[in-house]
Amino acid sequence: MKPQALAAAAATLGALALSLPPGRALIEQSMVWHMLVQMPLLVVAGWWAAAGAPRLGERINRHGLTGFMLAQCITAYWMVPALIDRAVVLPWADAGKLVSLWVAGVALRHGYRQAPLAVQLFFAGYGLPMLAWLGYYLASTDLRLCNAYSLESQMRAGQGLVMLATVLGAAWVLDLLHQHRRRSPLAPI
Amino acid sequence: MTPAAPPADPLRGLVATFAASLCVLLLALVALFHATAGGAAFTTETLRRSAVAQAPVAVPDYAVVDARGRVRPLRELLAAEGKVWIVDFVYTRCNTLCLALGTVFQRLQTQIVEAGLQDHVGLLSISFDSLRDQGPALAEYATRMRMQPGVWQLVSLRDEADRRRLLDSFGIMVLPAPLGEYEHNAALHVVTPTGQLVRILGLDEAAEALAAAQALAPR
Repeated sequence: MKPQALAAAAATLGALALSLPPGRALIEQSMVWHMLVQMPLLVVAGWWAAAGAPRLGERINRHGLTGFMLAQCITAYWMVPALIDRAVVLPWADAGKLVSLWVAGVALRHGYRQAPLAVQLFFAGYGLPMLAWLGYYLASTDLRLCNAYSLESQMRAGQGLVMLATVLGAAWVLDLLHQHRRRSPLAPI
Repeated sequence: MTPAAPPADPLRGLVATFAASLCVLLLALVALFHATAGGAAFTTETLRRSAVAQAPVAVPDYAVVDARGRVRPLRELLAAEGKVWIVDFVYTRCNTLCLALGTVFQRLQTQIVEAGLQDHVGLLSISFDSLRDQGPALAEYATRMRMQPGVWQLVSLRDEADRRRLLDSFGIMVLPAPLGEYEHNAALHVVTPTGQLVRILGLDEAAEALAAAQALAPR
């Protein structure tokens, strides 16, 4: 097995273990475990799983547009407090979360590696501030937004989301610099 | 010199991609619209409030017990005096949210008495800590909150096993917190004498809750 496939399998199993007992207690009690460990782990698992895959549906994914769009929609969906609650309480919603976020990882990679700078800029410029804003809001409001989590847990998850957005933004910029991708804003990478 | 090949048009063949992206976006919007009551409610708390406002929920009929140990079905209590009830959920050792709830209920109690509404509107606090909140604990809490028996009643569930289903029917989630405390969502629940939960309002909407109860009360 290739290293990325191995990593993908490990991340998938790790994320699954958090949805089943006894690991489930962690995501039931802590928003940090749910939003900052399990959810990113699923996306990363999908991302790694897509490493060796042939380019899927290239005809409908020119410039990575559809891949990015799908990843953005799925991750935005799981930022809604009511839907986070639902994934904690209802097993079928949790199953949907596991599958969809994993798919989001696959889609993100198919989007990212085919996207010219302009498209990357559009989605990063939209998605990362959204993540950071949600984090800031969760960390600073004294409204308890998820009935499943305590205010303290929500605050820590919010701080973590701001950090996650910062780290993702930095990683993206570093990747750009590393690959000298700045030829033309619309040139394929 | 050979002429350079014409540059490929970067926008060529994008129709299928645009169509696919648009489909993804529309599907996501439909899913989100469906899950948030048409974009009106993004938290479980607002969702349950709008759901109840649209379709009343029948309160389940479990045995409740008061400070004197009197046991009776919840529905019977609700129907006994023909009052519309404003219901909240508490546990008597609570030092945080229930204190705020207690203050709101005390103010409502005063308003009900001053307006002479005690035959039409009642206050009911239900403890969800049925293991600890029995007999003396309930009596002590009633005294501390200065409950007037004709206006404000306090009961606990007789059977611990009923607790989860009662809380589920109202949409209350109780989380164990450090030091034996609980964290829970708090609201004012307007319940008719026939046991229908018709409105859920926030702690800062006591006036609206009273008005809603008054409007529903049989004359």
